[in-house]
Amino acid sequence: MLTRRILLLSVTALPVALGLAPSRAWAQNLEQAVAFIERTSNDIVAVANGPASPVDKMKQLQAVIDRAVDVNEVARFCLGRFWRIASAAQQKEYLDLFHRVLMINITGKLGEYQGVSIAIGRGQPREGGVVVASVVNRPGNPPSKVEWVVSTESGSPKIVDVIAEGTSLRLTQRSDYSAYLGRNNNNVQALIDAMKQQASQQD
Amino acid sequence: MRRLSCPFPPLAAVVAFAVALAGCASKPPADDPDAVAEYNQTNDPMEPTNRVFYAINDGLDTVIMRPLAVAYKYVVPDTVRSHAHNVLSNLSMPVALFNDMMQGRPRRAGDSLMRIVVNSTVGVAGIFDVATGWGWPKHETDAGMTLALWGLPEGPFLFLPVLGPSSPRDATGFASDLAMDPLTWVGQGVVVSALGWSRYSLSAVNTRADLLVDLDKIKEQALDPYATIRSLYQQHRQSQIEDARSDDRATVPAWFAQPRQP
Repeated sequence: MLTRRILLLSVTALPVALGLAPSRAWAQNLEQAVAFIERTSNDIVAVANGPASPVDKMKQLQAVIDRAVDVNEVARFCLGRFWRIASAAQQKEYLDLFHRVLMINITGKLGEYQGVSIAIGRGQPREGGVVVASVVNRPGNPPSKVEWVVSTESGSPKIVDVIAEGTSLRLTQRSDYSAYLGRNNNNVQALIDAMKQQASQQD
Repeated sequence: MRRLSCPFPPLAAVVAFAVALAGCASKPPADDPDAVAEYNQTNDPMEPTNRVFYAINDGLDTVIMRPLAVAYKYVVPDTVRSHAHNVLSNLSMPVALFNDMMQGRPRRAGDSLMRIVVNSTVGVAGIFDVATGWGWPKHETDAGMTLALWGLPEGPFLFLPVLGPSSPRDATGFASDLAMDPLTWVGQGVVVSALGWSRYSLSAVNTRADLLVDLDKIKEQALDPYATIRSLYQQHRQSQIEDARSDDRATVPAWFAQPRQP
């Protein structure tokens, strides 16, 4: 009887003991990701609400984004299955254009974010990284749920996706590019030309 | 001979002609598995037809709805618009309540019921949204979500002439919501009828005004606005359904020992 109980206890204790080790690493990863998002959101809010001129604010925000977001990884994701069929020169040009268009789109509406505040919530592990929930409060608008997907695959934590009210921005962008390529004979050069036009419109 | 006063037969003919002309999208060849996977994931076999309707909608929007929404935002002050939004929202709460109950979401149904009661009384006929501050937050629900929670599959993406992005399930839901709405059936006569049409028109302009900034941004930044709207719609819908499905807040009263949070 006693031996059976001991055996039962040891059998149940073993997976718990084994489970503790990876979950501690997991917990560290979660904490790291949440702290990273807190730092990044503080930086963004400081720039948006800061006293600098619009041009300076744009530069500061670009610096924050370059530090925090893995732009090349997002760009590769957004090109999807066409990345493999693009030539090396096209890939390089695409990455550069994607970076410019991303900056233009993000910093273009900086004025709208005056007075913004971001409240960071919990982090949850998900395939490929950690998802950190947050609530973004813009004055005059209802609060919106924004989730930040953080990946540590490149060594340091970087944002690879932003999910606003349930819609993943990089998935949406990939659909956009994919549909555009579909209507232009899967020609990557056509996409690059269109992006060039977008980038030059704002300069 | 009596002239046709009803506009529907010619309109139906136009719609049928558009559908016949545009037809269905061609599936990519089977030797390109990535393309096939993407085609299946996009779930839009009627893409040419949908694009035709999108173009028509976009035209009507540019000429009618957007100017109306811009004027509405310009003329009506922010607070009045927000109060109008609250009133319209309150009027559509009974339908939300029925849907919550049919979905089997007791806490959400409770939120909806308390919102109706509190906002209609303390909130002066729905003008002030008092209930959110008192602990009954707003949530979106409709018959399309109810059908989804009952297990009905989505069906192909549809872009409908006036309603915009939808699916067979959501279109059915929209019609069911109209039928379920008690305000559709209450009262008779010219005044009631006028109030009903005012409610729908104001609701349309209000919704369009809310979407003004976002739609402008999409049209400006996207290479293919139709595909962007399709993707956003599908993702947003999925997220709403997931929110409803995973909302399993405990239904014990506050003074009872609460179950441990997960």
